[in-house]
Amino acid sequence: MTDKTRIRKDRARRELIVERTVRAPRELVWDLWTQPAHLTRWWGPQGCTTTVYAMELRPGGVWHYCIRPGGGGTEEWWCKAVYHEVERPSRLVYTDAFSDKDGAVQPGTEMPTRVELNELSGGLTNVVIITRFPNEQALDDAEAKGMVAGFVETLDRLERLLPGADHA
Amino acid sequence: MNAAPALGALAEPNRFRIVELLRDGPRPVGEIAARLRIRQPQTSKHLRVLGAAGLVEMRAVAQQRIYGLRASTFRDLDSWFRTFGGIWRDRMDGLDDYLRELQRPKRRK
Repeated sequence: MTDKTRIRKDRARRELIVERTVRAPRELVWDLWTQPAHLTRWWGPQGCTTTVYAMELRPGGVWHYCIRPGGGGTEEWWCKAVYHEVERPSRLVYTDAFSDKDGAVQPGTEMPTRVELNELSGGLTNVVIITRFPNEQALDDAEAKGMVAGFVETLDRLERLLPGADHA
Repeated sequence: MNAAPALGALAEPNRFRIVELLRDGPRPVGEIAARLRIRQPQTSKHLRVLGAAGLVEMRAVAQQRIYGLRASTFRDLDSWFRTFGGIWRDRMDGLDDYLRELQRPKRRK
């Protein structure tokens, strides 16, 4: 059995760190992240369909996709990411953001994201995804910054409180 | 769900302590105040704020006001919270499932 997903927050760096070890060679995991035919099979969320409209796998290249709920829902969540580093098969760095269908990014939703694939012995691959909370750099206003900090802190406390949440 | 009122109410440390205490079960105001060493009028004020945010509910039993957590709000908060880290958790489950499917050994006849 592979283990469960671990999620923790680095409050100082304002990062959400997601970690999961899977039983698969690193090259295969890389392909799942970087080939639309694979990606749409697992990107989810469950019950939703993901359609990839662009995946230019090179620094500066665009990854444009849309998530739609199944079951007749009409919502559409468009996302546009720009790749910064593409180092097969170990490292993928991009900035993901909400956008419209033409790829115009919603300001303030940019999330710098780093995917690291580490090869372990026994045919296992350790997947680490590091996402920075959006907005923080964009905030000049000290009061607004304090509000966001308070919010993140409250989330941390809430996490300890909720029975179903992760106790990292 | 709009989680803001609940999160706002919980941001105050004493209110958070009250919620933590009530996790073990409903308690009368006097007992909450005594256990947390908060003056009773202050405790009542905090409980009113928590009540307005839907986090606690009050039951009057004889002369006492008993406060307990309102489960439905916490369930909503929980599902709201899951959408935060939960997107990645679900996604990693999806990745793992798909990898298993891809690598499943072909069955012999």
